Amino acid sequence: MICEHCKQRHANVTVTQVHNGQKVERHYCEVCATQFHPFQFDVNEEPASLQQLISNWFNFVPVNAKKESTTTNTNSPKSCPSCGFTYRQFLKQGKFGCGQCYETFSEQLPQLLERLQAGTQHVGYMEEGPSKEKVEQQIQELRTSLQQAIAEERFEDAASIRDEVRELESKIRQEGEGNA
Amino acid sequence: MNIEHFLTNASPSWMQHESDSDIVISTRIRLARNIANTRFPISFTEQEAQLIEEKMMQSLLSSYDNPYQFSYFQIKDMPVLQRQILVEKHLISPNLARRKKIGSFFLTKDESISILVNEEDHIRIQSLTQGMNLKEAFDKARNIDRYLSKSIAYAYEDRYGYLTSCPTNVGTGLRASVMLHLPALTMMKQMNPLIQMMTRLGMVVRGIYGEGSENLGNIYQISNQITLGKSEETILQELQEVVEQVIKKEELARKNLLMRAPSVLEDRLSRSLGTLKYAKILTSEEAASCLSNVRLGVSLGLLEAISQRKLNECMLIMQPGLIQQYIGTTLQPAERDMYRAKLLQEKLNEQDEATNNGEKGEDFL
Repeated sequence: MICEHCKQRHANVTVTQVHNGQKVERHYCEVCATQFHPFQFDVNEEPASLQQLISNWFNFVPVNAKKESTTTNTNSPKSCPSCGFTYRQFLKQGKFGCGQCYETFSEQLPQLLERLQAGTQHVGYMEEGPSKEKVEQQIQELRTSLQQAIAEERFEDAASIRDEVRELESKIRQEGEGNA
Repeated sequence: MNIEHFLTNASPSWMQHESDSDIVISTRIRLARNIANTRFPISFTEQEAQLIEEKMMQSLLSSYDNPYQFSYFQIKDMPVLQRQILVEKHLISPNLARRKKIGSFFLTKDESISILVNEEDHIRIQSLTQGMNLKEAFDKARNIDRYLSKSIAYAYEDRYGYLTSCPTNVGTGLRASVMLHLPALTMMKQMNPLIQMMTRLGMVVRGIYGEGSENLGNIYQISNQITLGKSEETILQELQEVVEQVIKKEELARKNLLMRAPSVLEDRLSRSLGTLKYAKILTSEEAASCLSNVRLGVSLGLLEAISQRKLNECMLIMQPGLIQQYIGTTLQPAERDMYRAKLLQEKLNEQDEATNNGEKGEDFL
């Protein structure tokens, strides 16, 4: 059987829909089926993986997610500015796209972590701040972009970059005094 | 160090001592880390992946005070068989082995430390030790972690700790696992309730190859599930306590087995040794279950003494990838079963280097 949608690939997913009490069967290929019904079936790449477990635990969330997407559509669609991941995408794959996702989805995160983890606060080793060399390198990079901002007459950006440079410089000075 | 070194030695040097317990096989520590302001492997571009690899090479290969002497390999250059062998030796994960373009790893000469790059997270530091040595394995991984953090800024936040691709690893990024041989608990059908109980304690029990794999030869891997809200020390301590309890339960189950039907048990375990010594065709399931029985028989004193080291080696070389490596050619599954039988026979008939004229030398090693 050929996929009803793309009419190219072999249809190996049957989707049963109920309309006014009447059952309708649709036959799609895996590619089209994932586009239409991201939550109704698993792609089954890694059986019984933790990712799937998360998805299963949160199967009730799509309702919220839908609600949220209708309410937030008017303001801003909640997708991560750095990697473009949406919460739906996270639920489907069980993974975040980047570190910033933790900030982007900070509203949903506590309830997720409470189920998965022993709490929502890290109590393990603290990462030490970046070394002096690393901060100096960062300052150097910022100075370059400061020059660029000035050249392009983006003065507001330039001002905020300048403040950032000052902050980092004072950090280095403080550390220097601390060591002495 | 070229890749042949890691492929031809079936038994890595960290596994060549006799450990004091015949129940605990090995300990593994894994730390998941990511680089700050860089998208995770699930969403990054090939170019970003390349930059991460370069950064890692710079930190681990080109510095003057590098104490580790890592060898570096890219996955895409490797034939399937080589990848499989590395998985069988637990040096890389099945996930990394499946990669087509990106992904690489660093290995120390003794194979006790491997660093996986661009697997699920940018960096996964893994350290392996024989027997139960959570502290030692953790310290090793943590030292590498500190070493890397000198030149690499990690994705870290005060609230959530080390940020990882999957929120099941966030916080400490620490997964500690102990591999245990639990034949008596399995025979007495006590594993299922035990697994359920451990889940409630925040532990996961899996088969020998981790997530999604079945238990082969009654070998289980117990690891912590929780990575956030507990300190590294607490996580290790709790795992240690749980594993010690499981060991006690296994010891008790062994005693019970012996008391209930000693001759039936002895017959069953002796038959397994017979099969390993004389069978001409052995599937991996049969070989694993026979080796498990023989290990149990030796430990209970029902069978002739065979060193744990030899049994561990047998467990390794019976795997499909390593058999083919040993024979030097790719084999069909049916051929593999024949070679498996042959290889195990050779191994079991080999004279132990340290046996004292067949007297009970094994126990004193």
